[in-house]
Amino acid sequence: MSASVVGRAVSRVEGVAKVTGAARYAADTEVTGVTHAVLVKSTIARGRVTGIDTAKATAAPGVLGVFTHQNMPRLTVPGPQTMFLKGFLPVQDGEIRYSGQPVAIVVAGTLEQARYAATLVKPAYDAETPQVSLAANMDLAYLPEPHPMSGPPVYTRGDVAAGLESADVKVAAEYSTPLQHHNAMEPTAMVAAWDGDRLTVHASTQGVGDLQRSLMAAFGLPGESVRVVCPYLGGGFGGKALSWPEPILVAAVARQVRRPVKLVLTRADSYTASGHRAETRHSLQVGATRDGRLTAIDHTLTQQVSRTDELMFNNPGQTRVIYACPNVRTTQRAVRLDLPIANFTRSPEASGGHALESALDELAYALNMDPVELRLRNWSATNQETGHPHGSNHLRECYRRGAQRFGWARRDPRPGSMRDRDGLIGWGMATAAHASGGVPGAGADLVIKEDGTARIRSATQDVGTGTYTVMTQIGADVLGLPLRGVEFALGDSAFPRSVVAAASTTVPSVGEAVVRAATQGRDRLIALAVADSKSPLHGLDPKRVAARDGHLFDTERPSRRIAHREVMRRHGKPIEVVVSPAAFTPRRFSVGAYFAEVHVDPGIGRIRLRRVVGVFDPGRVINPKTARSQVIGGAIWCVGIALTEHTLVDPYLGRVLTPNLSGYLLPVNADVPDIEVDFIDRPDPSSPALGARGFGEVPSTGLTAAIGNAVYHATGVRVRDLPITPEKVIKS
Amino acid sequence: MSSDEIGAESTATRRTVLRAGVAAAAAAPIAAGQDTAAADTEPAGTQTGPARVPLKVNGRLHEPELEPRVTLLDALRERIGLTGTKKGCDRGECGACTVLVDGRRIKSCLTLAVMQQGREITTVEGLAHGERLHPVQAAFIGNDALQCGFCTPGQVMSAIGCIEEGHAGSDAEIKEWMSGNLCRCSCYPNIVAAVRQAARELR
Repeated sequence: MSASVVGRAVSRVEGVAKVTGAARYAADTEVTGVTHAVLVKSTIARGRVTGIDTAKATAAPGVLGVFTHQNMPRLTVPGPQTMFLKGFLPVQDGEIRYSGQPVAIVVAGTLEQARYAATLVKPAYDAETPQVSLAANMDLAYLPEPHPMSGPPVYTRGDVAAGLESADVKVAAEYSTPLQHHNAMEPTAMVAAWDGDRLTVHASTQGVGDLQRSLMAAFGLPGESVRVVCPYLGGGFGGKALSWPEPILVAAVARQVRRPVKLVLTRADSYTASGHRAETRHSLQVGATRDGRLTAIDHTLTQQVSRTDELMFNNPGQTRVIYACPNVRTTQRAVRLDLPIANFTRSPEASGGHALESALDELAYALNMDPVELRLRNWSATNQETGHPHGSNHLRECYRRGAQRFGWARRDPRPGSMRDRDGLIGWGMATAAHASGGVPGAGADLVIKEDGTARIRSATQDVGTGTYTVMTQIGADVLGLPLRGVEFALGDSAFPRSVVAAASTTVPSVGEAVVRAATQGRDRLIALAVADSKSPLHGLDPKRVAARDGHLFDTERPSRRIAHREVMRRHGKPIEVVVSPAAFTPRRFSVGAYFAEVHVDPGIGRIRLRRVVGVFDPGRVINPKTARSQVIGGAIWCVGIALTEHTLVDPYLGRVLTPNLSGYLLPVNADVPDIEVDFIDRPDPSSPALGARGFGEVPSTGLTAAIGNAVYHATGVRVRDLPITPEKVIKS
Repeated sequence: MSSDEIGAESTATRRTVLRAGVAAAAAAPIAAGQDTAAADTEPAGTQTGPARVPLKVNGRLHEPELEPRVTLLDALRERIGLTGTKKGCDRGECGACTVLVDGRRIKSCLTLAVMQQGREITTVEGLAHGERLHPVQAAFIGNDALQCGFCTPGQVMSAIGCIEEGHAGSDAEIKEWMSGNLCRCSCYPNIVAAVRQAARELR
């Protein structure tokens, strides 16, 4: 009898489709008679459109329509419950809120015709001077209204002033993180097609259900009239987690031209269309006793918001939750700027964690204490914000195992003390931590077919995280079927309602629904088998019967068994199960520890990451192969944030100056060192999903600080402003 | 990224683009950004608008109707229906559109379809024989060298080029010669492992 399929390093079930080109992403959708849309975008960041000359564009070959705020149909702005958070729809009025805001949409028979005609649209503006620099406008910072998506604007426990007063050692420092873009390799794409009053949109989205609801709201249509489909998504990282205006605008123009319309955003469009990680500034004060026990943390985080929203996506959760510290205050302030709205970006808590983990390294030096030891002394078994125990927390083991694998004991802590022939070596470490779950659950349905195989569906998404694979594993495990006996389908709003595939929430929400649906299906299968007089299991107590390898068997006499296929053949009709979403999935923290080695060329300040060790506690690991890939990906995101990525905005014009992949530096293969990954892999007893917790975002936290701490160790230079580029190392 | 790689690739590409640019301009002066008025001044006897352009893709002849300004990438995706090749940036920066032309890897967004007449074009759809995957494809699945899968067709085509060029001799060499293909899910170490394994099998 084979081992469980959960916990096995299974290859992605959709792998063949992805390596052969058979996987159809939104822009690959074949729709007969499709036409092409191109956006015309504002070149000013603040002001009004005073007029748009569309005559030449309208007359250009192949053009089917040119739409501006003067001739667009009026649309209802969807509410935030549909994850439409932008607060307004472009091309509905003449007001300009940021550079790059769509001001016109051109539709033509071919992409080339639409692209050319778009160059002929000539808007005229009444421009005002925009405010786009966070640094220059810190005096405008204010405390926004509390919002569930932002985390508390102000959180306090204990007495922070007294805690700092009582500290033997204090550290005060300012850190900043830049504006960062998701840059999924798949540009946002959509194809909208009407059939009478029924609308189908193939769209690149992390939330087919939310997008469907935003379209329903915009057009005043019932749910059965709007379908959103997205079986494959070319990365999202939060950039496709919100309901954005473009699918609504494209659906609106498709209705006008009476043809299906396809819009694929250009790479440049993606720097203003899909949100970003807001630029942040952190002011931290940390106090500790001489023996390294934290007495107080005061963390003030200031971040950019837009003119039309004030949501703050950089919630400093780690500061409130992880370490045992009686006196803690976190403050989240916002500065309104003439930039697009920010949104979730892979691991929204990463910037707060970066500041905290950098400050703790500074504290370790001030205390003359090993940074691992400092963290061990402040480990907490409880969630310090809620006071409740963590479901499980093996962070101490992450530190110990990571330190051992890395060889941390050989570290000479003095800055500049470790060298090789070509330059300076630095070793740094930090804690990785991120919340997961805490959102409504997901629904699912299940059919066990007459051939004994099963199909499970949920309106969730596979962002590349491995949802197809791990849900197939979970379903197969509970049903007692081999992997090939289960098909998991997702990415269709017609499937049972689910939550957006974001916030490390898919395993605790969809995983829970799959467990529930599969358990009910298996129990009904068992009920059939024990009731059937011709079954070898006839008359047995159902509790004695279990399922494995495509068979139901008597746990007390495993040779007494019957195949799923046989039970279903005799039943003669499929078993169908539908489970509705659980009201809530538990909010949990997953944790880990990163250790990094950098090499710094002291002459030119060039930093090369040499090796990384990461050890994590995600609860039970459903699939070590996809989980490891998730860690590698997260680690490399940290490399980009720490060393290369930075969206530059012109301070006068308010335009993104780096809207392409040669100006915006993503890490490439040659930038990436050996990344050693390990998991504690112990089930979280509080998990509703077979012991697993949401984990996806944890690995893209912490390593930024570990790299910065390593650069300090190598050079004695503390660069508190990301990215750590060579000139900052040399200048100090 | 090595300057060798940029140099070798970009010189060849630039030269080809220049040569073809002259031809394309002569054939039809309606490149994007140009005013339509230019159409009035075209030399007599030149053909404007779409024409049937024979393209041999994965061993099969296609004759899509194309304007000269259509890139090979858009011809494959929008006219021939081979959507496996992806558009990530449309300006040669991401590598998602990598295909093989006469066995050499190129970025299909940086070349016009009309320039590739008479050449053997291979896309990701042309690698497997029925159910049997190309060793590079199999190695990508086995090593989990893909997550969202969007850059994967380009990575796979580039990996085949990398191996055939003899640039898969060490991990360092693979990293260098695969750095023209971005992966935002950041599967890079797994991609290196896949290329290493496939190179061994293909040797």
